[in-house]
Amino acid sequence: MAETIENSHSDEKPKPRVRPIVRFGIFLVSHSFLVSIVCFTSGVLALFLLPVLAKNTYISENALMPGSASPMLSNQHVSDGNRLVKDLTNSNLKSSETGIESHKIIAQYMLDVGAEVSFHKFHPQMNQFHPLHFFSSPDSGKIQENYSCSSYGINTVGIIRAPRGDGKEAIVLVTPYNALTSSFGEVLSLGIAYSVFSLLTQVTWLAKDIIWLVADSQFGEYAAVSAWLREYQTPKFSSMSALNAEMCPDINNLFEIEVHSMAGSKFSNSFRRAGTMTAALVLKVRDQSEQFDDTISIYAEASNGQMPNLDLINVVNYLAVHRQGLRVNVEKLWSFLNLGWLKSLGEIFESLANIAKSLNPKFKFGIPATEYVEGTAILASSLYYQALGVPTGPHGAFRDYQVDAITLEISPKFSLDKVWRNDIILRGGRLIEGVIRSVNNLLEKFHQSFFLYLLTSPSKFVSVGVYMIAFALLIAPLPMVAASLYVDSNSSSNCSKGDSSTPSAITDTDEHGITIRSWRWLNSAKLVFIVHLWGAIVSVLPYFICQIPDCSPTTSFMIWVLLSILSLLILNSVLASPFACVKASQEKEWALVKSVTISSVFIGLGLMSVINFATAEIGALLMVPMCLLARPLKLDVRAGTFRSCCRIICNLVLGHIAFPPAAFFLLKGMLDGFGSANVGGFWMWVESLWAWNSATYLFIVKATYLSWMSKADARYQRNIFNIHSKKG
Amino acid sequence: METFNNSKPVLVLLLLPCLLLYSLISFNSSSVEAAMHTNNWAVLVCTSRFWFNYRHMANTLSLYRTVKRLGIPDERIILMLADDMACNTRNKYPAQVFNNENHRLNLYGDNVEVDYRGYEVTVENFLRVLTGRHETAVPRSKRLLSDEGSHILLYMTGHGGDEFLKFQDSEELQSHDLADAVKQMKEKHRFKELLIMVDTCQAATLFNQLQSPGVLAIGSSMKGENSYSHHLDSDVGVSVVDRFTYYTLAFFERLNIYDNASLSSLFSSYNPSWLMSTAYYRKDLYKRNLEEVPVTNFFGSVMETIHTDAAYKALSRRNSGRFEAQMSLDSVHHAERRTLMKVNDQEETHDVNPEGNKQPLQGEEGASKCPWSTFCNKFRKGENVDSLVNYGLVTMIPLLVIPTWLVR
Repeated sequence: MAETIENSHSDEKPKPRVRPIVRFGIFLVSHSFLVSIVCFTSGVLALFLLPVLAKNTYISENALMPGSASPMLSNQHVSDGNRLVKDLTNSNLKSSETGIESHKIIAQYMLDVGAEVSFHKFHPQMNQFHPLHFFSSPDSGKIQENYSCSSYGINTVGIIRAPRGDGKEAIVLVTPYNALTSSFGEVLSLGIAYSVFSLLTQVTWLAKDIIWLVADSQFGEYAAVSAWLREYQTPKFSSMSALNAEMCPDINNLFEIEVHSMAGSKFSNSFRRAGTMTAALVLKVRDQSEQFDDTISIYAEASNGQMPNLDLINVVNYLAVHRQGLRVNVEKLWSFLNLGWLKSLGEIFESLANIAKSLNPKFKFGIPATEYVEGTAILASSLYYQALGVPTGPHGAFRDYQVDAITLEISPKFSLDKVWRNDIILRGGRLIEGVIRSVNNLLEKFHQSFFLYLLTSPSKFVSVGVYMIAFALLIAPLPMVAASLYVDSNSSSNCSKGDSSTPSAITDTDEHGITIRSWRWLNSAKLVFIVHLWGAIVSVLPYFICQIPDCSPTTSFMIWVLLSILSLLILNSVLASPFACVKASQEKEWALVKSVTISSVFIGLGLMSVINFATAEIGALLMVPMCLLARPLKLDVRAGTFRSCCRIICNLVLGHIAFPPAAFFLLKGMLDGFGSANVGGFWMWVESLWAWNSATYLFIVKATYLSWMSKADARYQRNIFNIHSKKG
Repeated sequence: METFNNSKPVLVLLLLPCLLLYSLISFNSSSVEAAMHTNNWAVLVCTSRFWFNYRHMANTLSLYRTVKRLGIPDERIILMLADDMACNTRNKYPAQVFNNENHRLNLYGDNVEVDYRGYEVTVENFLRVLTGRHETAVPRSKRLLSDEGSHILLYMTGHGGDEFLKFQDSEELQSHDLADAVKQMKEKHRFKELLIMVDTCQAATLFNQLQSPGVLAIGSSMKGENSYSHHLDSDVGVSVVDRFTYYTLAFFERLNIYDNASLSSLFSSYNPSWLMSTAYYRKDLYKRNLEEVPVTNFFGSVMETIHTDAAYKALSRRNSGRFEAQMSLDSVHHAERRTLMKVNDQEETHDVNPEGNKQPLQGEEGASKCPWSTFCNKFRKGENVDSLVNYGLVTMIPLLVIPTWLVR
């Protein structure tokens, strides 16, 4: 009875119903080589098409209404600003011992127009590398005891309360200012900010409080702003300030002087707060510029490739271009502008678009070649800075608290004489006023427009929906190749087993064998895990290295390399040795290792694309070809055909290029010339990365071990070969 | 002869229901037509919140000012404003609202009575106002106390779409809701004529479901069209008025309370190139000729003076007012109130008729002492079907007796 049932089952088996999607999957897997080539090339092509596919920006939030109100900043406010500029430059000439004098002047000015003023003193917090703090929010800051009194900064904060507002929201205006080495640009930015500030104390339309932060930038702009923000967002209820004041009499002095000299009761010793921050603008004026126009540069990238809401950039761009007649710049990689092949690529796209247009006049997607090149340069810099994860200015500190912020850098046209100075204060001030008035109209946080985008010009952007396609195409081959490799290795082992074992043995060991074989990938996974572990160790090492005092970048880099190799050896001897006992044919084994590696890379890239798209994109560009081409050198050498030779060369080149230090040098060399590149430079770069808690750092180190993976595979295979040959 | 005589009762019996039917119809029509235009109401609704919708409030306030100027008193205007622009912190001119950048006219002056403000302006409250189904605690000033002699202007502005109008950025009024509310009003004799004026995008679609007679509707734009703002006040920083409303106001600014401009002249004053949309009006439910209807019929309160011989004839109308009040206060005894009102109505029409209305049934109505009309009264009230049947049977008896007597 049972047999008949089995028979009937076996009768049904020959024609199983395979669903179309499964069949399609099988088809893709079986043709993975072709598919992966097609996908990868189209992915790269799609990346280069992004500037063409970029859309024009538009203001998505109705409430913003930029430019609907005429600016109210008049010449009187400009002369106010000018007065501050003059006073500050005079005070700098007089006494340059400390910045206290100029801070007092600024505070006095703020008080004069009726704002609340307070000083915020801070100790610059050294950026500490915490291996596990990559994605955690900034903590409230530990109190370091051993600061000397000399190393503190003073932020001057002025707050205008909205006369009829509810005081729940605030807009922040930041001007970095180093009182010790105050450049004229900084002073001028203070002048602009002050002219706006003096206007805003008079207007009746404020719905949000205005905070003007004069950030003491002697320890860096970012440090000052982030220290103030930390204090603002995470209040400490300790007696630290009192303690500090006791320790440092001169700070105390300053405050007392202020309290006595300033008649207004609006000065306060304690830390002052306004409402939740809606947006923040960092205003800078560049000292010299080679521009022929008055331009304004927008810096938007914050840590880990986060961007402020696109609406904020749109508002600034709209007001600058259409109201104040300023030219708007976004960062670009200048070296891209001179690339010949890029230009010709742009021309190809342009001519293609023209052909399409001639076929159907409705197709309008072409852009001129020069615009294409410029768009690519901006896109590349956008990708680069997002991938790096290092904020491009003090605005990055705001993004850590989910506040939309950008840095505006005004580059004036020519030398700063009187008339012209008034003009730049007027225009800059009106721009700031317009942005503030627009943001003031907001009812909610910025939420309407995009957060995930890449700029290709100040008024064009590529949204997440478009650029994800390029990325998806890039990494699409990975799961297919992994699957096909896995299937291949399994089937080949089946065949070999079938050949070698006698038919009688099959019935006995078949099921057992299948279970063993189906779990064999665990060995490979273990190997991959070990390499990952090594990568993790390598990534944590700098934390300990930087504890060593008095190390030049070069030596610390050397220590890092040495320690890394050492750890690899240790790991290999401790954990990897069991693999030597595995007696399996090498071809199958490497295929399995490769398949597991590729799937782990796929998962890693997929996750990374969610966290930081740009990093994942660049990582995918480097790693996907490497993963697909990787193959034990020994096998290729043995094969000796032309194809395998090519593959060897490709592997070696890719393996070296994708190794981060190598990639760094190559990029640096390409962009700046090879002279400036050295080993220490890489260390500095890496240091800057982990200083910013950049997730990219993790990723790069991961890339390191992944790039070594193929070689590790090869080496490992060679070991096995050696063992086998000895045995043989 | 015999046969003729025999057929007589049958003929009479056949005629009887016809007669009954006729009286019924004539009576109903008389009840609609009979009510004379006695008062004017306006319901002005601004449905959208937020500072950037300043213009919607300005629209509504301008209309408020206009209808007030043209004679509708404050207690007959229900003003619903979904937000308070005058006191918005972003307003450069606190406590003032302008509908023009020349700032010559402050719409938010001393005597603006806002009945529903802010979050009170909801679809529910709007429908309650229209249909008169209020909670008992709602004061009289917040109720639309119209009767069947009322001409009502319903003005709405905000953001709309295909067959809906957005309220408060969170809910919407659909054309079905509006039509249903209007139908309820009609059933409850809450208006004689109703002019619905809507200034939103695709405003015309909001009228699609209307089916009650006596309703005239005009919208700022057709389906698929947007309604645009007229101009931006760069001082305040927002658009201050919508095009449709702007040109409506421009039309009314030329008028005073005694002008006789007709509705059709208003409707034809909308120039699509100025509006940047096509004003659409629906008049298939409205029987009167638009050329003959002065705009003050809706936008103002101009009553025809009724000359009566006796000083006390008008008393009954005052009575009607009292009954109205009763009606709104006790919403429980619905049926009872209705009868009261009806009786009263009849008296009113009786009073009015001498002035020469074109009522075909005037005489019949006037002879209110006649048993026929009492019968009709009873019948219309429909108080109890049994009595009706009894009456019918009683009238049958003599009819039966007479032919049998004739035949014999």
